[in-house]
Amino acid sequence: MIARQRTHLTAAGLVGPATLYVGIGILLPLAILFRYSLNQFVPGKFMVDALTVENYVKFFTDIYYYSVLTRTVRIALITTLICLVTGFPLAYVLARTRSRHKNLLIMLVVLPLFVGNAVRAAGWMVAFGNKGVINASLMGIGALSQPLEIMFTEAAVIVGITAVNLPFMVLTLQSVIEGIDRSVEEAAFNLGATPPQMARRILLPLAMPGVLAGTILTFILSMNAYATPVLLGGPRFQMMGPLVYNQFIQQNNWPFGGAIAFILMAATLLLTLAANLMVQQRYRTAET
Amino acid sequence: MARLELIDLSKRYGEHAAVAGVTLDVADGEFLVLLGPSGCGKTTTLRMIAGLVEPSDGRTQIGGTDVTYLPPWRRNTGMVFQSYALFPHMTVAENVAFGLEMRKLAKAEIEVRAREALRLVRLEAFAGRLPRQLSGGQQQRVALARALAIRPDVLLLDEPLSNLDAKLREEVRIEIRELQGQLGLTTIMVTHDQEEALTVADRLVVMAEGEIRQIGSQRDLYERPADRFVAGFVGRSTFLDGRVTGPGEFETAGGLQLKCRDGAPGAAALVLRPERLHLGGANMDNRVPGKVEFVSYLGPVLELHVRLSPADRVLVQLPNRGDAAPAVGDEIELTWHRDAGMVFAE
Amino acid sequence: MAIVVAHSSSATVARATRHFPIGRWVLNGVAGVGLGFILLPLLLVTWLAFFRQEIPSFPPAGHSLQWFGAVLNNKSFVGGFLLSFQVGVTATLIGLALAVPASLAIARRRFRGRGFIDTLLLLPLIVPGVVLGASIYVFQIETEIATGLPLLGTTMGLIAAHALIVIPWATRLVTASLAGFDPTIEEAAKNLGAPPWTTFRRVTLPAIRPGIVAAALFGFVTSFGNLEMSLFLVGAGRTTLPIAILQYLEWKIDPTVAAVSVMQIALIGTAMIITDRYVKIAQVV
Repeated sequence: MIARQRTHLTAAGLVGPATLYVGIGILLPLAILFRYSLNQFVPGKFMVDALTVENYVKFFTDIYYYSVLTRTVRIALITTLICLVTGFPLAYVLARTRSRHKNLLIMLVVLPLFVGNAVRAAGWMVAFGNKGVINASLMGIGALSQPLEIMFTEAAVIVGITAVNLPFMVLTLQSVIEGIDRSVEEAAFNLGATPPQMARRILLPLAMPGVLAGTILTFILSMNAYATPVLLGGPRFQMMGPLVYNQFIQQNNWPFGGAIAFILMAATLLLTLAANLMVQQRYRTAET
Repeated sequence: MARLELIDLSKRYGEHAAVAGVTLDVADGEFLVLLGPSGCGKTTTLRMIAGLVEPSDGRTQIGGTDVTYLPPWRRNTGMVFQSYALFPHMTVAENVAFGLEMRKLAKAEIEVRAREALRLVRLEAFAGRLPRQLSGGQQQRVALARALAIRPDVLLLDEPLSNLDAKLREEVRIEIRELQGQLGLTTIMVTHDQEEALTVADRLVVMAEGEIRQIGSQRDLYERPADRFVAGFVGRSTFLDGRVTGPGEFETAGGLQLKCRDGAPGAAALVLRPERLHLGGANMDNRVPGKVEFVSYLGPVLELHVRLSPADRVLVQLPNRGDAAPAVGDEIELTWHRDAGMVFAE
Repeated sequence: MAIVVAHSSSATVARATRHFPIGRWVLNGVAGVGLGFILLPLLLVTWLAFFRQEIPSFPPAGHSLQWFGAVLNNKSFVGGFLLSFQVGVTATLIGLALAVPASLAIARRRFRGRGFIDTLLLLPLIVPGVVLGASIYVFQIETEIATGLPLLGTTMGLIAAHALIVIPWATRLVTASLAGFDPTIEEAAKNLGAPPWTTFRRVTLPAIRPGIVAAALFGFVTSFGNLEMSLFLVGAGRTTLPIAILQYLEWKIDPTVAAVSVMQIALIGTAMIITDRYVKIAQVV
């Protein structure tokens, strides 16, 4: 009994500081932010204490703000889908390669993650500008007489966000595929399955946990993208991330900014949950 | 059910030759065992037959057709993997039906043939289970049923029993052999377990370092091993170092003069099977005094380690006839026939 | 037993020629395109850093190293680097000091609420950066009002927030390396007479050192590259390097900002290669 109590005390002593730090550092701020989102914003008087849902109502009734949400969701869905389709082959090759350079290849996937979104957006700015790589090359070979408008379009933002999130998808899928016994694939081939049949009947169902995790991760990241829409979409292209920042820091409208932040979190969680359920429904027999 | 021919089949990984020129002709319905230590190339050979590894050189023919460069899904081989490689997300029935679906058979026929395959391995009652709900032995039988269901030209078994416990292994290997005989399937099995190999094989192939060292029956390998490696790998033996001094004459490192089979003069090893050595038998070519140093009582047999000279110690296996057994420290006389002594040049 | 195989008809055509593994090439090709897509922006930005002319028009008029010198004359880049470095190192140290003991408890002890705490410590990674920034922003304001101490916009305030985002990585990596460390080895040390603290110092700590090194690197890099959360918390005229780069890019793109990007890529690449000597990055991400 005494020994048991001591275990509890040491465990508490070890885990306590970190728990308190994260608890106070995140849960408390989120609570305060939520409380702020129920306050009123009176122009000139800044924030006034109140208990109202008018900020949430305003978001969903004002077509401008509402369209920012739908645009954000649309872009998040598109980029996540592209990440899944392009990420799977790369993840598979990385998981199954017996190359000596495997570690190097994985580092090449990881490096851009750490370099930061602004720097990667800069790379796309080099490509997309009026005199950028794409326009200069197309005009150089005579395919174009006028430069294409690529910068500050939705397409540019989609390309940028996809490239930012692709490594997350690849690394998630790769670790799951590595856990699938290679001989299961060989057994399918031996029984007459062609590679596409094997991929559909064996690999994909077994990789489903990774597909789900990777999809959720990249979807959350896309929903909350900041630097990419700001730099590649330009000042008039609004997504939810930049909108929160503008309301807080530029408009000083904390209640509305708080409300948008919570709508963003809620939308992300709801859509993630829905996707989760859909996939589980479809692959219920595949759940192992 | 088909004849299988391997013609000078090789697989090189860079400088290293995993399989170096294997030539084999397996008759229709024959059970052939590839036997050898790990890394000897036996599994690579099997995987080349299945098409999972592309050979660097040579040819593979199944039923007279060259399949050397056909991808695995266009051959008709049924493989049982060492890890069984059952599809974890499919039921037993779905696993067994998979190969039939790939062959685009009618649904009704798939059902009939899958059930038939499960009946062969006595698992009809488990059709709805998932692999992880089965014991190791049952999983092994599902893997076998899955391979049999497609009615393969050649059945390939990659160490199929290595994940089973000893008692189960003995049962299953007999079961596999009986099934194979019933169905008349050309079968190649890879194993490193010689007892397993001797039990089931029509013919055995001993491999080492990517090459075939000997092909033959159980008796061939045991009585007339082709080289020192086979002699050591198949059955138990004592190796005595020394030299051949004349026709049928051997001198050990410890100075013993022994009679043996003929061998080329020069440095060599004398190989003695433990059960061919006797205690004080009559009319024997060799008669050597020795001292018992260690005794194991194994039930049907006794094993003695007998010191013949400061440099020579031999293993002796005596049938347990219930009379008084020699004890450690006893001075005894060992005798054996000259034919029991096989010599291999160094 | 007849062989009823739909597509074995094709197998009866004798073929002695090596078949071209077209499927494998397609697969590798698609994978290569994916990898290229990930790396392309970094390559382009690196190319721009070596242009001779200032305007990013293609093809370049020539190549030059001058822009790397220009970076050092840019106060916001130099200041941003120094602040990011200072914050990254301090936040990593604080984060490790909190996360390593917590990982020991999570990996080795069984206690009530263990699953909850495990999830809680991952929260800073799950809550979106913008939301995290906004909520810590209002929290720091409330704290300032309650205590009268300046917090928002100070280096201390920034470090405190960055320590939060170091904790999930550190906990994950150290817990993983503890999970791969056989606890009976600790028992062996105790059996040989080592008290708990000595066991930790002489046996456990050396065994999980690769995990701690990886945790330190990942923590530092996460903090160094953080943009969204920091945007809310930096003071006027005192920005971190990623924010300085973002603000510069909102105004224009030129070889100077490309050069500072290349320097950041080089720094992070070097940190990764060094870490790779201690723990294979392929095994921890």
